[in-house]
Amino acid sequence: MNFLVALTAIPLTSVVLSLTKLKVEQLRVVIPMLTWLQLVILTFLSWPALLSNTSVLTFSVDFSIDKIGACFLLLTNFIAASSITHSAWFFANEKLLGRGEEPQHEKLFYVACALFVTAMSFVFLTDNLGLLWVSIEATTLFSAALVYFSRDKHSLEATWKYLIVCSVGIAFALLGIILIFASSQHGAIPGGSMSIRLLVEHAKELQPKLLQLGYIFCLLGFGTKAGVFPLHTWLPDAHSEAPAPASALLSGALLNCALFAICQVTAILKVSEHALLATSLPVIWGALTALAASFFLIHQFGIKRLWAYSSVENVGIMLFAIGLGSAPLFFFQALNHSLAKVALFLLSGNIIQSAGTKDLSHIRGILQVSPSWGITFAAAAAAVTGMPPFGGFVAEWMILSQCENLTQGIAAGVLLFALALSFIAVSLHVGRILWGKPKHQTVVHPTFASTIIPLLLCIFSLLAGITCLPMFFLNQP
Amino acid sequence: MTITATEICVLTAALLACLMVGSLHLRVNLWLYSLSTLCIAAATATSALEHSEMGPIFIAILIALLKSVAIPKFFSWAIDKLHVQRDLGAMVTPPLAMHAAILLFALSFILTKEIPSPAGSVNGWFGAAGGISLVFTGLLLMLTRRLAISQIFGFLVIENGIYIFALTQTNGMPLIVEMGVLLDVLVGVMVSGLLLFKIQKSFEHIDVAQLTQLKEY
Repeated sequence: MNFLVALTAIPLTSVVLSLTKLKVEQLRVVIPMLTWLQLVILTFLSWPALLSNTSVLTFSVDFSIDKIGACFLLLTNFIAASSITHSAWFFANEKLLGRGEEPQHEKLFYVACALFVTAMSFVFLTDNLGLLWVSIEATTLFSAALVYFSRDKHSLEATWKYLIVCSVGIAFALLGIILIFASSQHGAIPGGSMSIRLLVEHAKELQPKLLQLGYIFCLLGFGTKAGVFPLHTWLPDAHSEAPAPASALLSGALLNCALFAICQVTAILKVSEHALLATSLPVIWGALTALAASFFLIHQFGIKRLWAYSSVENVGIMLFAIGLGSAPLFFFQALNHSLAKVALFLLSGNIIQSAGTKDLSHIRGILQVSPSWGITFAAAAAAVTGMPPFGGFVAEWMILSQCENLTQGIAAGVLLFALALSFIAVSLHVGRILWGKPKHQTVVHPTFASTIIPLLLCIFSLLAGITCLPMFFLNQP
Repeated sequence: MTITATEICVLTAALLACLMVGSLHLRVNLWLYSLSTLCIAAATATSALEHSEMGPIFIAILIALLKSVAIPKFFSWAIDKLHVQRDLGAMVTPPLAMHAAILLFALSFILTKEIPSPAGSVNGWFGAAGGISLVFTGLLLMLTRRLAISQIFGFLVIENGIYIFALTQTNGMPLIVEMGVLLDVLVGVMVSGLLLFKIQKSFEHIDVAQLTQLKEY
């Protein structure tokens, strides 16, 4: 129980503080500090799991964590701390623009953020498939409040789509989990079990038909939440309508949670006797998702929609890595994607504030408006498309070189084409954003402070690429 | 082949849900949903008695109170507040949709024939068929309706179907998971119910078919 207290004490403090009569200006200082403190606490909590390669750190009956889970836990909380810190500048600028005049909305934003991040942390901490489902559904409910932030017609429509599509999708994942649970009751484990580690141990004795059916439903359900093609429809709307720090959280942290759930279920099927489904289905689906997303990237009209589709493309790559059965590669790709994409969403938030529009055809000459934004923006875009010095390149290279059989080879070819296409599309859009003459009067004066977090994230992505430290850390040379 | 009391309850629930598709009146839909959920609570109770366990009785009471009384009450209040009585219906007419639902009910028997029966029990076929049929009915309800409130009904029916599937195909889900799922569904329904009011306020209607401002160009 101690660990539950350690895990929830800080978020609950943030919730209580946000609901008291504290001024938003004070909250903008206190809440980010609390989220960084939470990151430190979680690092201490999961330290033993980070150090050892094989052992699993068990907290209590349904809660335990291994090395990959700990890495994801820290990544999620790091992304959350960065986004929430940046949101202080973001909301201060909103106020300058005369928007977001209701302090109550901002307070609710902090409440929803704290609960959302806690729900995401539970996804990595739980060992129980049922509780995993409960946590993921909880993330949907809390993040709906973030998408609804601006309270206009567009955000309402996006929130409704998000809530309905994801809830129905996740319901199918529950059906899948029940099927997997039922498969464990056929003699493998007395009474059956939902513990992922127990299921992996006894994977060979699970009832094969139920297990395979359950896997397909889980893939479908969590795939909806992760935004794989053709179930991605909610994703661009929600990412585009949420305020920039919330889009960053959705893209950089939430998608990883859903993919982590898929990774866990795949791990069970992989050691059973029917591994073919687990190796081929995610690989093919991942490649197709990346391909479809790169076509959507070509014709884009909204800056945040552009990055949303780029996220769909990256989800495809990560699903591919999961299909290859390499959890460390999945983490490496997720790390690079999260760092770069969060930087991009945060910067796009600045740019939208400065340009006063989300329309790509009206955003020009960012280099002229603010060189520091422009350079960071270019670096982050290069990182997200997988340009060489950045981590994304190493991760994608390793993923492509790990294919073993013909199916995976063909899928890798498709993925390579998708990567090339999306690189061209993103470069063209970014080129138009950076150069040219600014079409607008700058309303918000660009400050260097609003570049700090994105710049740091880009530097981390660069370091990950140059040193490949994460891969050595995860023992994958 | 004998049919148990649980299976009778489950199949009644599935048929009641099929009737939901046949009516555009929201209040009729709510009554049918309430009755169907009551059958599900009864199925939970009878299955607990068959296995002579007492834990699931508690869950049965919770389902009866929360899902078949509290949720319909909440939506009945919402219907009054929103001033809507009827759904507009989309694509196919309600009688046709109801026949499709009954066809899917039959189809789910064929689909679930191959599912291995749960460990320790002779046959779980009818239960599985009832659950899958409810899932189909819920999806059909979501597809053939235009009002946002009907989409929530559809989701509730799907959720009932999944619950029935868990009840009949496994030997008892862990209690903590069952509670978590129930809590999530309740909160989800409340959140989407509150969103209904916001949609009514901003758009002056709750017609989902007209929510098309966000799209690709």
